[in-house]
Amino acid sequence: MDISKKIIEATIEIFSTMVMMDITVDDEDVKDSGKLHDAITGMIGLAGTHKGVLAIHIPHVVAIAITGSFLGMEVDGINEDVEDAVGELANMLGGNVKAVLVENGRDIDLSLPSTISGASYQFQSSKDVEKSLIRFRTESGSFLVELQLEK
Amino acid sequence: MGKNVLLVDDSSTMRKIIGRSLRQAGIEFDNIFEAGDGLEALAILEKEKVDIVLSDINMPNMDGISFLREKSNRANMKDIPVLMISTETGDDIIGEAKSLGAVGSIKKPFTPDKVNEVLGPLL
Repeated sequence: MDISKKIIEATIEIFSTMVMMDITVDDEDVKDSGKLHDAITGMIGLAGTHKGVLAIHIPHVVAIAITGSFLGMEVDGINEDVEDAVGELANMLGGNVKAVLVENGRDIDLSLPSTISGASYQFQSSKDVEKSLIRFRTESGSFLVELQLEK
Repeated sequence: MGKNVLLVDDSSTMRKIIGRSLRQAGIEFDNIFEAGDGLEALAILEKEKVDIVLSDINMPNMDGISFLREKSNRANMKDIPVLMISTETGDDIIGEAKSLGAVGSIKKPFTPDKVNEVLGPLL
């Protein structure tokens, strides 16, 4: 099962059908999300046969553009609409990832989505995890989708 | 007289998207009520005339399955159709929703065409 391929397909589908924004996949091999600056992260926990987290890390300027396109209105800063939109992106991605993992015999439950936002932070797991990271590009900049699954 | 719809989702973004999709699908409602969870949805159904409910499954306070269960116990609202709109696609959870009276489901993400295809025949 190529989970990265599934994440790419799901992200492109979500952005084309609901956000109404063109995105492309970056071929860069990303090993770690590293230090995130002026960014917002939407995340959803996975529990059950396997545990993990699905996160989408988006620079503020890109999150504002995404939210504006998602809602069809001008957004002038990081506000509740942006936080909610990013959380909902994580929610939809989490749902798609769950469907793939369940197809492959895993029993998974999803948490409710949550977001964190700040000037500088790092998103790390304290456990031994297998990471899949994919960078996507938009007209406003790039964002990362990260899946961490406990080994 | 036109129809009224109740949108139930803890994401205000998603409620706006569903509203937009209804308009793009050419489905008109006189009133679009909104609720953030099953408890709010029940409160609205107690006082407003609603012809159809579009509900998420995973929500805080009262999720979509619990909402269906409680709604089915109330004579004044048990016959109002509920269409699930959710990231959940598993046969077990969708099957449980249908056993509690849900008339169908739409998976997120969705297009206006999909909304029209599933919702249109129910109106």
